[in-house]
Amino acid sequence: MLLNPADRDPAARGRLIGALATLVILWPLFQAADVKPSALFDGGNLKVITNFLVGFLPPETGAEFLGYLGKATLETLAIATAGLVLAFLLAVPLAYLASGAGRETPTLNPVTRALLTILRGIPELVWALIFVRVFGLGPAAGVLALGLTYGGMLAKVYAEILESVDAAPANALRHNGAGRPLAILYGLLPQASKELASYSVYRWECAIRASVVMGFVGAGGLGQLMDQAMKMLNGGEAATILLTFMVLVFSADGLSGWLRRALDTPPAARPSPFGWRSGLVGAAIVVGSVASFRLLDIGFGALFSGEAARSIGEFVAEFFPPDLSADWLERVGKGVWETLAISVVGTLLAAVAGLLLALPRWRAPFSFLLNTLRSVPELVWATITALAVGLGPFAGSLALALHTTGVLGRLYAEALDNAPPAPGQALRVAGAPGGLAFLYGTLPGAAPQLIAYTLYRWEMNIRMAAILGFVGAGGLGQLLYFELSLFHHAQASTVIIAMLLLSIAVDQASAWLRRAMG
Amino acid sequence: MSFALHGVGLTHANGFRALCDISLRAAPGERIALIGPSGAGKTSLLSVLGTALAPTGGLAEVLGFDQNFRSTVAFKALRARIGSIHQAPPIPGRQRVVTAVLAGKLGQWPAWKSLASLIYPIDVAGARAALERVDLADKLFARCDQLSGGQLQRVGIARVLYQQPELILADEPVSALDPALALATVRLLIADAEARGATLVASLHAVDLAIGNFSRIVGVKGGCIAFDLPASEVTVPLLHELYAGEGGELPVQAHEPHFLSQAAANGAATRAACC
Repeated sequence: MLLNPADRDPAARGRLIGALATLVILWPLFQAADVKPSALFDGGNLKVITNFLVGFLPPETGAEFLGYLGKATLETLAIATAGLVLAFLLAVPLAYLASGAGRETPTLNPVTRALLTILRGIPELVWALIFVRVFGLGPAAGVLALGLTYGGMLAKVYAEILESVDAAPANALRHNGAGRPLAILYGLLPQASKELASYSVYRWECAIRASVVMGFVGAGGLGQLMDQAMKMLNGGEAATILLTFMVLVFSADGLSGWLRRALDTPPAARPSPFGWRSGLVGAAIVVGSVASFRLLDIGFGALFSGEAARSIGEFVAEFFPPDLSADWLERVGKGVWETLAISVVGTLLAAVAGLLLALPRWRAPFSFLLNTLRSVPELVWATITALAVGLGPFAGSLALALHTTGVLGRLYAEALDNAPPAPGQALRVAGAPGGLAFLYGTLPGAAPQLIAYTLYRWEMNIRMAAILGFVGAGGLGQLLYFELSLFHHAQASTVIIAMLLLSIAVDQASAWLRRAMG
Repeated sequence: MSFALHGVGLTHANGFRALCDISLRAAPGERIALIGPSGAGKTSLLSVLGTALAPTGGLAEVLGFDQNFRSTVAFKALRARIGSIHQAPPIPGRQRVVTAVLAGKLGQWPAWKSLASLIYPIDVAGARAALERVDLADKLFARCDQLSGGQLQRVGIARVLYQQPELILADEPVSALDPALALATVRLLIADAEARGATLVASLHAVDLAIGNFSRIVGVKGGCIAFDLPASEVTVPLLHELYAGEGGELPVQAHEPHFLSQAAANGAATRAACC
């Protein structure tokens, strides 16, 4: 085989080195994430989780509980909606400042970009935990936390979407004397509106999940109810709450699809660009936002009073200077490593499971499974996996993997659907078995998309892995939760900075990998 | 004087010299056709006149403005007086025809009017009148991605008709139209410019279309002006020299390449679907 150098595959050496390097990097990460599948089948754990799951049936349907559930659901929806309204108000001016769209000479705005990175880099749950300390228990903390984090995310993605569409129409308008705002409105928005709208709705869906999660730190809503149910090991209540999540997420999904189709309908032959659908959506947004703020009854006046400002100032001052002692840095370093391990292991497990579930011939019965996995937030999964395998990073990895499988499986299925069908068909016609035709014909076409989705998801997961520790799943979150509970703010500050740096580093690594593998 | 270029040069960032030492003047109301082989610098010349590109050498004056000096307010006002027609119309596919036409006046309207027009088109009658002149009045409320390449090109022309600029710069304005429609459209542009005393500079691929309709012909080759003559003085040998290296045949209307509209690639889809 190795006799003739001309016959040797020139790519083989690179592939071998790549595979070895991957193994060398992944092995210690799997160690750090404490992956021990045997824990799943450990007698004691098995008994706990079986008892708990058996308790799921029948789901709790008592009138009193349903009353609480209804109220908590409304509160969750209201927190998500109010938070997203706040985020939107923050994101529009920031995206305008940060984006190169509509500028004749492309300029990057480093100040705004850095601000966006900080807003996005600190997970909403951490903001919520801090705001709960300042404003006390209640939805205000959740709304503000969502507003800040999602404001940063929306601004970044809005800016990128506007940059990615064809710039010629906006440039032409500027050459005829239009200013930048009008050039964007007339030249770029029509191209980007569908993408912007569906991303915003998608974020609203995420905000619902996030507001559920923030209940775990006392910000109200379904999360608080779930937290109580889990602490009492009340499976029936947990089951009803999980079903409610699914209904919420499925409805948001359906709404998003309807909106996308509505944006695709050709306009009617009349001067006004707005029809009954636009009116309906506009009215729903206004009514929903107003109702949300009224329901939550957030005293924004009190939040922005002089006294509140002073207490915020004092509180923030306690975080400085961060504790940079060698001891503490070592523990934080270990937390960083563990968090990284959770995110990598969780994402990889999900990528494998998601791909299997997305494979064409299996798809139909599995799409429901994927949606179910996706509709339950990672943190809620973590409370369940912690019962199944015990507290620690493995529970975190599993929780991340379960939720991410739902997300990636769906995206993979779409990518495989959109991959050019001709190469696979040609192979099948030439007599190749279906599986091989898939590997040789379909997969190569879809691979760049699959890799991009996986890496983007890893960027999301590193943020999530950082907070899974709040329910005992290891990593930086666990450190932060302890230190904040003990009012060790200088130590907590170090952890938050570490989270921020880690998320920035992962963003960079992911961008580099996308370039290298794309 | 409508515009005057004094020894204008344009060197792109990658070192490519698109224009070298161009001197060209036009009086208000003149109608000039630019002809020359592809890659000669016709589009670059129009871009400099349209203030889209700043010359890297020499002096460009347009409508009394010294272009090399760019002050924002006066500069915007200048740009509002220039109308550009592009070979590939820069109009978003999802925009409605009426909005695309009204966008011609964004540089002239106050901001509140432009914003209000997004909610309800301010001047439907004006847009319809402009579209009627290019035979597209029935498409007033259609969306631009429902139009053919030729129809979209005529929407771009209607936008400039609606803008009523003092200087019309047309870059291959009829490349997507069949010969009969191309001739009618070129005549429409000339008639519009004539009626308003506006200056018209059009680059044309088809030599017969240029010589048959324009009074002044400027031949461009290799980033320089090869000749600048009244149409009556342009001779066949002169044209053959201009197009030497293009296969010996002069480009006329029957050889117009068909216009292909291209879908805008959307890289944001991946990102948005995932995060």
